[in-house]
Formats: sequence, structure tokens, C-alpha cells
Amino acid sequence: MNARTQLFELSMEGRQVDEAVAGIFHSVLFHRTLGKFKYKQEGSYSVGTVGYQDVDCDFIDFTYVCCSSVHLDEILKREISGFSEALRSNDGPGSGQISLEFFQKKKNRWPFQPECIPWEVWTVRLELIKLVTEHERQICREKVGDLLTDKILYITEVMNRHDYVPKMPNQAELDLIFDTSYPDIQPYLFKLSFTTSGPSSTTMGNTMKKLIKETLSM
Amino acid sequence: MRIHVNQREQIPSRNMSNAELNMQDKKDLDKFTKFLGLKAAQIIVQSRLGQKVNTKCKPNSSGTDWFNLAIQDLPEVLTEAKKALCGETVNFRIPLCVEISLRTIEGDTMVLETWSLGVLPEQSDPEVRITYTVYNRMGILLKSLLSVTRVTPAYKLSRRQGPDSYVICYRIYMGEPQLHTLGDNYKHVRVGQVYTPVGTIQISLSYRTKMTISPTHTGRDLVMLKSDHFHSDLSPRHVRYHQSEENNTSLSDTAKVGAFAVNKKVTVNEEDLVIPDVPFSALLTPRQTSPPPIPSTEEPVIPPPSGTTAPQTDNNNGNSEKTLNGNSTPKCNSQNGSRRSSCSMMSANDDFIMVDLKTPFAGTNANSDLGTFYRECQSAPQLQAFTEERTLAEQVGDLTEQLETFETHMHHYEDVLSSLCHTENNN
Repeated sequence: MNARTQLFELSMEGRQVDEAVAGIFHSVLFHRTLGKFKYKQEGSYSVGTVGYQDVDCDFIDFTYVCCSSVHLDEILKREISGFSEALRSNDGPGSGQISLEFFQKKKNRWPFQPECIPWEVWTVRLELIKLVTEHERQICREKVGDLLTDKILYITEVMNRHDYVPKMPNQAELDLIFDTSYPDIQPYLFKLSFTTSGPSSTTMGNTMKKLIKETLSM
Repeated sequence: MRIHVNQREQIPSRNMSNAELNMQDKKDLDKFTKFLGLKAAQIIVQSRLGQKVNTKCKPNSSGTDWFNLAIQDLPEVLTEAKKALCGETVNFRIPLCVEISLRTIEGDTMVLETWSLGVLPEQSDPEVRITYTVYNRMGILLKSLLSVTRVTPAYKLSRRQGPDSYVICYRIYMGEPQLHTLGDNYKHVRVGQVYTPVGTIQISLSYRTKMTISPTHTGRDLVMLKSDHFHSDLSPRHVRYHQSEENNTSLSDTAKVGAFAVNKKVTVNEEDLVIPDVPFSALLTPRQTSPPPIPSTEEPVIPPPSGTTAPQTDNNNGNSEKTLNGNSTPKCNSQNGSRRSSCSMMSANDDFIMVDLKTPFAGTNANSDLGTFYRECQSAPQLQAFTEERTLAEQVGDLTEQLETFETHMHHYEDVLSSLCHTENNN
């Protein structure tokens, strides 16, 4: 199955990385998160309510909206700061990319693990720049804010195309589609991954290419 | 809202056209569309209040929130939106518009953006399921609206509004969006759309890119408004400058009245301008005040204590409209008469509603405290010394008398002095 892929390429200062990536991924996840399902009796359920909050950035002139779920924010922050640290470390390459991948699970025969099939991947590719003066920083603050604005408009455009999303499952298969571990919300299953050296290998296509390359080199 | 879905049920293959849209679906669609409009208005206006929004997730929602989104309802906005809809059957053939504008303390206004929600009947999707798909997609559309409201230029401006610089106003109306008020080179953005059997519901936005106010009065330079923390327009100095410029009719006019003096209007005679015999006697004549800048009608509305404005969550699902109407008598409305908006198909450009804003660091009734203090100072009784006008001779006579008494009491003063010296030595 082909996953939809979206790629954002940005360049910014190291200290802006966390906020920029969080702004983009939180906006995507906000659209890809449902209220918590509560099953009443067989076959019937109610959907909880998703709360939201405004987040102001410190190093970018930018405010974004995200689900008001502490748990979700923690998970996102943890992964993003790992990426940010790797990117900004002295021996880091100064460029890299981080991906937010939505996937669904497909049950396999015992003893195999369920297969994860991605259906939408959002990638942010970043290049770090170094600025010297405060004036340059101020300009960069505004510039990155403007760039993120464009990205938000693009995200909402994609979300309102109403392309493929996995079908609503029945109760038994709910956790093949949704992450049911959150107490307050129910996002589609997602994972974050990053690399700071060359393109990410999160998509199926890339994995296949890598396999073929490795086979040939052997 | 609670959705009960029978999971075992097969998705019915519907092959219906507009005409075949069954009554229940039609009713549902109308209801959903109406609430989409009401909630969209809430999202837009609340994003321009200058405050950050934070609503809680409710995993155990008992089925009260529309579109599974915790959008709070400000009663006043709900009233305005309902007024604009005029209780008609909502099909949004005529778009519902929310106009956001900026008003400076000088009274200049500038329309910043116009949001519109309308239906394009030519694009429809007869296959789509109303209760499930359309409802969920409306939720996604509102999420997109939430995201987009935070990234337009007006958002940053609204976060920096204040009673001494400018305030953000809103107006809700039915009609084609008026784009000529947005100046040259305005931008158009489509927030998103939902396909339904009767057409495509679409939310779009047009916003100003040139942030230049053309003065409505004469002889004033253009006021540039830029998103900048340190802009001179926002500083109090600017305010003072304008004030003194406009009131600069005579010297005595510009002078402020002291705290314990009487605020009386005096017509200045030629004689008064002659240098008086008694030095500084002019200080004794009451002066005209330049009134403090507290206009009552145009001043932004200070929101009532949080207890009263706490947005009330819409606790009904649309089928009990009575409660919604009950909610729509807002407490804050009674506190200030200046809030209103038109509910007309036409537009009146100058008919704006002041948006709530909070003065930083101010308590809820800080302004009235200041006002009370000011009035008390204004109404302080005049000192007796100034009430009795006395002739120069009397005053001079007084002086000699006083000097004489002082001289006679000279030894008293010396006693006091020497006793003071003694006590100091003791220490």
C-alpha cells in the first residue's frame, strides 16, 4: 500500500527546532485525533470530547493549537527533543529529518508480530543555520513564523481533502487503528522517528530501496 | 455529541439525489450545518479576544459537545450569531460572515479580515452519509478553523490589543463578504470544505495585507500599524502627543487641574492677562481642565469578573433550543450598553461590537477604583483661603499684623529652639 507522504523543508536556528517541529506535528495530530471511544453495550459506543489549547512559541513568532492532552505532549516532546539534541550536537551534521507516521496494524499468523502498514507520513527536513547578530535573529524569528504559517495552511488543506483514513473498526479491532493507551484522547496509531544523516527510511518505499541496495552490495 | 453506531450494520448503499434525501437526513444536515455556523463564529471571535484558549478533554463526555470538540460558548457571541441567522432555516445559500476589525483610540477603524461560511450548491456528494461522515468532517473543518485562526496577521494584532492602543471588534452578518474594505492586495485562503448531498459547505477567509490606516480625519499623518512589540504607536507618549496637540487652544487650557483645586470653567478676560499686582496671584484663579481621556462609549469593554464571563458550555444537542436561548442573555451584556451588532442582510460599516479585553495586571474593578478616586479629587471642597476674595490693602495689613505678632512671640520661639538644642545634647 502506498502511504501519502508530505515533506516540509525548512532551515532555522538550532533553538527553534523543537518549537517548529512541535508546531507542525501537533497541528497534524490535532486533526488526526478523535475523542475517546467508550463502549456501552455490544456494538454501541460514545465518543469523548477533544479539548484544545493555544501554544505560544518562545523563539518563533508563532502560535499553534494542539490537543490539550499532557500525555500526548510529553510523548511528542520527548521524541522531538531527542531529534533536536542529535541535530544540534557538536558532531551532528547540522541537518536531518523527523517523521510522523500514521499506520494501521494487520494481524499476522502466530508467531509473527502484527504488520504495521503506514498510510500517511509527514516529514520535516531541517537544516541548521548559524546567526550572529540579534537583528538577524529577529528577522529569522519572523521568517520561520511565516514559513510555519504556510505549513499550517497546507496541513489544513490536506486534512480537508478527506483522503483515505482507515475505516472505523469494531471494538475488537480498535487498537489496530487507534492508539487506545491515552486516557483522554484517541489518536490514530502513530510513531515518530528521526535521522540526522541522510534521508529517513520510514516509508515502505525507502525500506525496499534499502533492501535492494544492500542485496546488490553483497 | 453521542453517536451510536451499530458496528455490525452494513453501510447502506445509498443512491439518492437531492430530492431523495430523506426527511431525517435533511433535518440532521440542517441541524449540523446550523451548529457548524454557530461554533465557527465562536471559534473566530474567541481567537480574537487577545487571550489564550485552553479547553479540557472530556473522555467521559456524556454527549453534550458538538462535533466532539470542547468549543466553549460565549453567550454574547451566540446571541449575535443567532441574531445574524435571524432564526431562518439555515442553508447558507447566503454566506454567514464574521468580520474582524481594528479600532484605534483615535477612532480610526480598519477591517482586518472577513471569514465566511457558505454552501456551493453546484458541488454535491449524494453518496455521503450524513450522521457519520458529514458530522465527522465538520469536526475536522472546525479543527482546521482553529488552526488557521492562529496564523493570520489579525491574530498577532489581537494578542497585542489594549485600551491605550487599539481594540479588536467583530461583526456577524449574513450576506456576501465585503472584500472592498480589506484594501489592496488582500489575500484569500480556503480553510476547508465538507461535501454534502445538498452542496459543498466551505469556510474561507480573506484578510488584509496592507496594514495602513487611512485617516478619516484631516491633517494627520498615516499611522503605520505593524506587528511589533516596540512600536511607537503603542506607547503612551503617542497618546499624550495627540491629546496636547488637539487641545492646544490656550495656555491655560493645557494646564491640568491640581488634586485639591476646583475644576471650573473660566472665561479669560483681557485683564487677567495683565501681570497682576500681587506676584503669583494667577495661581489662585481656577483653571479650565483638559478632561482626562476617558471616553465612555468608545472605550474597550473591560470584561466582568471571570466568574460571570466564564463561557458556558453548550449543554444541549440542538434539539433543545430553548436552553440555548436561555443562555443567550449574557451577564456581560447588562454591564455595558455599548455592545451591539447588526443582524441585517445589509451592512453598516460602523456598527461594531467591542471585544472583551483584559488590561494586564489589572483587577476586575481597577478602572472604577481609579474613576472613584479621580472623582473624589475633583469634588474636593475648595480651600477656605481661596473663597474669600480680599483686597490688596487687607492682605498687606494682615501681613504687618502677622509680623508684629511674630515679633512679640519671638522669645517663645527662642525657648523652643534652645530646648531642642538641649535635648539633642542629652542624646
